[in-house]
Amino acid sequence: MGADDAWSAEIRRLPLTPDPDPLALDDDLAERLLDGDLPPDQTPPGYAAVATLLAAAAAPPSPAELDGQEAALAELRAATRARRAIPWGTGRPGRRRRVGLLVAVAVCALSATGIAAATTGTLPDPIRDTARRIFATVDDAIPMPSALPGQQPTPSTGDAVGAASEGEGATPVGEPEATAGTAAVNDGPCRASKVHMGADRNKKLNAGTSQAPVDAASGADNGTSQCQNSRPDGTGGNGQEQHPPSDGHGRGQGGEPPPDAGSKPGQGQAKPPPNTVGGNPEKGGPPETGPRRL
Amino acid sequence: MIGPGFPALLTAAAGGDEDAFGVLWHDLQPRLLRYFKVITPEAAEDLASETWLAVIRGIGRFQGDEAAFRAWVFTIARHKARDGWRRAARRPVEELQATSLTEPSAPDDPAATVLEAASTREALALIATLPAGQAEAIVLRVVAGLEVNQVAEIMDKRPNTIRVLTHRGLRRLAEQLRTDQGPRARRAV
Repeated sequence: MGADDAWSAEIRRLPLTPDPDPLALDDDLAERLLDGDLPPDQTPPGYAAVATLLAAAAAPPSPAELDGQEAALAELRAATRARRAIPWGTGRPGRRRRVGLLVAVAVCALSATGIAAATTGTLPDPIRDTARRIFATVDDAIPMPSALPGQQPTPSTGDAVGAASEGEGATPVGEPEATAGTAAVNDGPCRASKVHMGADRNKKLNAGTSQAPVDAASGADNGTSQCQNSRPDGTGGNGQEQHPPSDGHGRGQGGEPPPDAGSKPGQGQAKPPPNTVGGNPEKGGPPETGPRRL
Repeated sequence: MIGPGFPALLTAAAGGDEDAFGVLWHDLQPRLLRYFKVITPEAAEDLASETWLAVIRGIGRFQGDEAAFRAWVFTIARHKARDGWRRAARRPVEELQATSLTEPSAPDDPAATVLEAASTREALALIATLPAGQAEAIVLRVVAGLEVNQVAEIMDKRPNTIRVLTHRGLRRLAEQLRTDQGPRARRAV
């Protein structure tokens, strides 16, 4: 193609892009438009009306927009009065902090007690003595079959599972036992602990008080081991072997209880505590009852 | 903007000085109302009142300059708006009556004030037609007078996202004003 075939100036003037964006807006101009400091002569094409619109949106307030100041001031007065009514340092945050600290200390102390009890099998002496003192008065008011001398003890395993299977849950304290089973001399403490669990979980500490008859009858180790052996969860078979069911109505069946027998309302007290002497920090006793009272 | 006197004003307002609090209220209440009229027009006054209640409760603990105070107030406002959206979502839909859409006029009702208020109302109504994020970003920038970073924090987005939102919103406004032959803009002007 020679130079005479076309005008070079015309060729160069051909548009490289079809249509330039008529509303193109660079970031700087956009920021200045939003800030409202773009003079009209510098407003990009197509944005003059937008600038006017934004100026109208940010116009000085009308009287209607300033209604309600008195209500806001009334709220301020009330809030100021309330703030001044509370002396410095006695407001809610301080009280909450103190209560939280007390709860934390109590939880720590009770957890440590529970761990110690679970590890050693006995409560620490001061706590046990305190528990004995407390529950000595309770025992006077509520007759505990196992703790009362001369009362006929009943089989522990059969009683517990029988109650669970019938949905009785907590066996009423002091109620004559309907379950007929082979009497076992050393089952009194175990049964007592079950009855306590059914009556009041807080009274599990009473197992410690019922340790005395156990000691007197067959020695501390024997009583503890029999309680452990009479667990209805299948971990100990001695309870079943020593106390077979006798009434044929499902009572006294020392085999596997329902897996959730200990968690259903009204049935959960059939399972005796694994350690009736020191209390179980997971099932009851001081580690659990303390924080609940708080 | 209040300016250099803001720290003393804030301290006095936090101590219960009604005059100082009134200055803060005068500066921010119209902006709050306009913000709510764009993002939750049906409950603007109620939400503004709730915002001020929260400001009164927390003003004693606030620390910062005027820009931070303004950003704090609009952060509260946005939370109130979100609460309002949740409440509205749980509420059964009610049909609005046409009369409820008209605002009561000012008691003295001078013509200039009406025209000015009408133009502001029209402008806010047009901004409210934008997609929600674009409208909110533009109002927080233009009406509340906040910086990009503050708007980004309030809207829980990145600053670049806010720039894109406002840029798109401005472009959309320009397109609407051009295609509509600018009737609203002419009324606004």
